[in-house]
Amino acid sequence: MKLQHHLGGLEGLDRITPQIKVFVEPWEKRIFGIHTAMMALSNHLPSSLPAYDIKSVPTTFKSFWTWGHLRMGAEAMHPFEYFRLRYYEKWLGGISGFFVSEGYITQEELDTRTAEFLANSEKAKAPLPKSGKPEIDKQVVKYLREGDSPMRKISAPPKFALGSKVKIKEVNSAEHSRLPGNLMGKVATVVRVYDNGFAYFFPTADGIGEPMPVYSLAFDSKELWAESITEPNMIYYNDIFEVYIEAI
Amino acid sequence: MTNYPNFQYSRDRETFSAAKVKALESLLIEKGVITGKTVDTVLKYFETEMGPFNGAKLVARAWVDPEFKKRLVADCNAACKELDFPAGMSGAEGEHMRIVENTPKIHNVIVCTLCSCYPWPTLGLPPYWFKDPTFRARVVREPRVVLSEFGMKLDNSVEVRVWDSSAQIRWWVLPMRPAGTEGMSEKELAALLTPEAMMGVATVQVKPRT
Repeated sequence: MKLQHHLGGLEGLDRITPQIKVFVEPWEKRIFGIHTAMMALSNHLPSSLPAYDIKSVPTTFKSFWTWGHLRMGAEAMHPFEYFRLRYYEKWLGGISGFFVSEGYITQEELDTRTAEFLANSEKAKAPLPKSGKPEIDKQVVKYLREGDSPMRKISAPPKFALGSKVKIKEVNSAEHSRLPGNLMGKVATVVRVYDNGFAYFFPTADGIGEPMPVYSLAFDSKELWAESITEPNMIYYNDIFEVYIEAI
Repeated sequence: MTNYPNFQYSRDRETFSAAKVKALESLLIEKGVITGKTVDTVLKYFETEMGPFNGAKLVARAWVDPEFKKRLVADCNAACKELDFPAGMSGAEGEHMRIVENTPKIHNVIVCTLCSCYPWPTLGLPPYWFKDPTFRARVVREPRVVLSEFGMKLDNSVEVRVWDSSAQIRWWVLPMRPAGTEGMSEKELAALLTPEAMMGVATVQVKPRT
């Protein structure tokens, strides 16, 4: 049971002072760009709906990388680190670790280069060379424009009908999940049955992966939390994969 | 942001991260993973093609045209095609978008408790408050308290709907058109919209005309 799957409703947290900036430090923009490029160059993209011709893109990136991989990395962290590190700090740790474990760079190369930039502020300020094959950037823009929809036609009809009462299963969230843990065992009403099925980037231990129906479920606030710690006249909605749902 | 005072941080926290990400980017360019222009290309895309300026146009059109509003709520991706947007409104993180309408009786707010799923084509990239684990944890249980911390007062007579984004649908909010905007052009109306209003943590403010 991981904290990262069970954030919903957590008590004892601080008052929010809203930060409206997307990036609070200039360096954060760089890791965002790198992650986006990795998704745009991922080796699974030939099987996407746009059927990207990734093999003809002249990049040395040959790995499988999606939102699912980034999320899984964040969910693998020590729970205290998850709160201690800011959003893009988590990305930087996860993504640099990925490039090391996949063999594109060594930890030593990364540490040495980092130390060089720390030791030499002129070098740290100097722009990086603008070299490389433009087809790579063309593919990145193409991906941003055309996306990677997980929607697929399925033959089996949805199991649950609009308006029906359903219950969320107890599942083992394991390494990665798209079910907030606090919903397990709770009762909801189906308010929408989405057309077709939705796949997930890769199979998870708790059963998402192959295309399946997704439902918009409505939970009364009192169903999820004790009345004294929630609010009246409030409904929580979430989009839930069929494998997480059972009949009552 | 979650800045719990008892966590230990290095004094050079940001300098270190900046050096590390520059090291990573420079190595990735040298190894041919990306080019020297890749990161800037991505960033430029979100400055010029995908951002809250797109969502603002859609909301402004919905405010002046009730039939368009119905179409937008029924099928956001189809409605996007009616306006003159750059290619990509059904692109990355916008393949399946839905918008929910605020009324005097119903207030909608969006969250992603598991991570930070956000409708890129209509709203661009998420602000830090949306990515904050404190917001993600608390808004699903005590939305009115959280909204008051954003400066928004909502009493119990207004139904609050919290829309979480654990699957692939990307949600956003059609805020109420404020009083004092009668006769404004779509362009003037669009200029009033903020990402906060279009995710349900703020109302639309009208600056007094001088």
